[in-house]
Amino acid sequence: MWAMVAKEFRELRRDRRTVAMMIVLPVLLLVVFGYAANFKVSDIPVVAVGPGASQAASLLRAPTFQVTETDAAGTEATARARLRDGQDVVAVVTGGSRPLVLMDGTQLFSVQTAEAALGRLARPPGVAAPRVRVLYNPDLTTSWVMVPGIAGMILVFIGTLITSLGVVRERQSGTLEQLAVMPLRAWDVIAGKIAPYLLLAAVDMVFIIAIGMGVFHVPFTGNVGVFAVGAALFLLVTTGMGVLISTVSQNQGQAIQLAFMTLLPQVLLSGLIFPVSAMAAGVRWISYLLPLTYFIEISRGVMLKSAPVSALWEPIGLLAVLAVVVLGLAIVRFRRDLAPSVRASGERPRTPEGASA
Amino acid sequence: MTVLAQARGATRRFGAFTAVSAVDLAVARGEVVGLLGGNGAGKTTLIRMLLGLLRPNGGEIRLLGGPPSRAARRRVGYVPQTLGLYAGLTVAENWAFTTAAFGGPRAPLPERVAPWSRELVGGLSLGEQRQVAFAVVLSRQPELLVLDEPTSGVGPLGSARLWEDIRDAADRGAGVLVTTHNLEEARQCDRLVVMAGGRVAASGTAEDIIAAAGTAAAGRADLEEAFVAIVTKQAGATGRAGTDPVGPGSAAG
Repeated sequence: MWAMVAKEFRELRRDRRTVAMMIVLPVLLLVVFGYAANFKVSDIPVVAVGPGASQAASLLRAPTFQVTETDAAGTEATARARLRDGQDVVAVVTGGSRPLVLMDGTQLFSVQTAEAALGRLARPPGVAAPRVRVLYNPDLTTSWVMVPGIAGMILVFIGTLITSLGVVRERQSGTLEQLAVMPLRAWDVIAGKIAPYLLLAAVDMVFIIAIGMGVFHVPFTGNVGVFAVGAALFLLVTTGMGVLISTVSQNQGQAIQLAFMTLLPQVLLSGLIFPVSAMAAGVRWISYLLPLTYFIEISRGVMLKSAPVSALWEPIGLLAVLAVVVLGLAIVRFRRDLAPSVRASGERPRTPEGASA
Repeated sequence: MTVLAQARGATRRFGAFTAVSAVDLAVARGEVVGLLGGNGAGKTTLIRMLLGLLRPNGGEIRLLGGPPSRAARRRVGYVPQTLGLYAGLTVAENWAFTTAAFGGPRAPLPERVAPWSRELVGGLSLGEQRQVAFAVVLSRQPELLVLDEPTSGVGPLGSARLWEDIRDAADRGAGVLVTTHNLEEARQCDRLVVMAGGRVAASGTAEDIIAAAGTAAAGRADLEEAFVAIVTKQAGATGRAGTDPVGPGSAAG
């Protein structure tokens, strides 16, 4: 038995990736997710409009609320537009007999925190209790908020993992070398490789959204075209990540390991479960590097809030940037696999034949 | 004599390890050149440099009159040791993919492999798979054929057929560079180049090789004896691993 134990340790010592996964990763995950896992929201962005905007703003104190704008000339329409565009989560409309507080129901935890804080608020004498209206998700139904995000999460899994396995399979079977001698450019191979997965993922997306609407009664109130643009960019990034992972993986096991390492942060840091605004600033920046963060913003915005493209240009634009970066890196790395003439001379060839050379 | 592929002083290092050192090699139109060497001799690295898949650290590579390029590779038929076929596709589907990738016209499947057109490549025997890989490559009538261990794992009958194909291709004017561990088969080449420790240890006809080894004088006019003697001598001279002369069916060097 000791011989077996010693042998395992020796093998493990040379398998740095597995050792890193077993030792470094848990520590890293605990620290990162420990700071990210927070349902307690603070600094909820609030806009106050109408003649009593300044007075209302003075009542909404930090750390729960953060007044982003006080607009005495603003109306309920102004306030609704700001909520729809994601600029604020809470809007206080003054000027009527009673103040009206509008809340963005797609931000479950923020709304729950805001409702509790409003209930505790000490009103000055003569100020009537506000009317509270939750928009887009009046009953604060969890599935309405989760389904658009889960659709993205499923597609991260399918897009990244399946694509990476497909490319690694080429390497393991030796067909990648055959592709290298064919008159194909790296881009031809990548485009040809990801197109079927992209199409399948798009079909998957339609099914998932349809099931979400049919089974969980999630509304789809916005423009299908805007959603399609966001979804297409998101799928491009996820399949591009699959190709990128495949270029640094020698076999399917490594590809699966790496795909999971990209999947886990997306589940926990994208705002799918924990609100991004509630995360510690030290880990929040990671959220802004994740495609799922932007897809969730787009899918919730279109499906629940009828957000127009003008309100979503930022996440759509950032997804486009991510798509360019990820696919660009994938092409550069993949070109090295296909025509390794540009490879650094310090690296040994990776094909079965070349390995022995 | 038109030279189709040429290495002049080609050297390739991987870090501190020199896989190929100052190798000269030329393959002309209509000739079959056999590249012999044990595991780690540098054969595959040399082939990859000739095809432009690896850049040499020193020396020069010419493929079909110029530096290796995508356009030049279009005129080359390469069958790697792993064959480069998709096991999950049928023979006809593999054929269709390769034809389309090379931009050729839609052509019927070669007669020899037509009976297997609907068979998954993964379901064929290794010998049959090699015949398919050959048929796919030969159908394009490449000017240069590069074959890495073409008969590895193939029975005597299949080997004989493959060598017939190689000879036919050369007779049609193609240049052929073939690596092999099988020294009996090597005799069918017009010229042999023996590599050991990343260098060319001997070259010429089989008889030249035997003469160079000096084994004939000892009454052993056998190519295998000559090969072992040359490789062993080279190992002594370079003191380097990768001069193992043995290993039929194993990965090429």
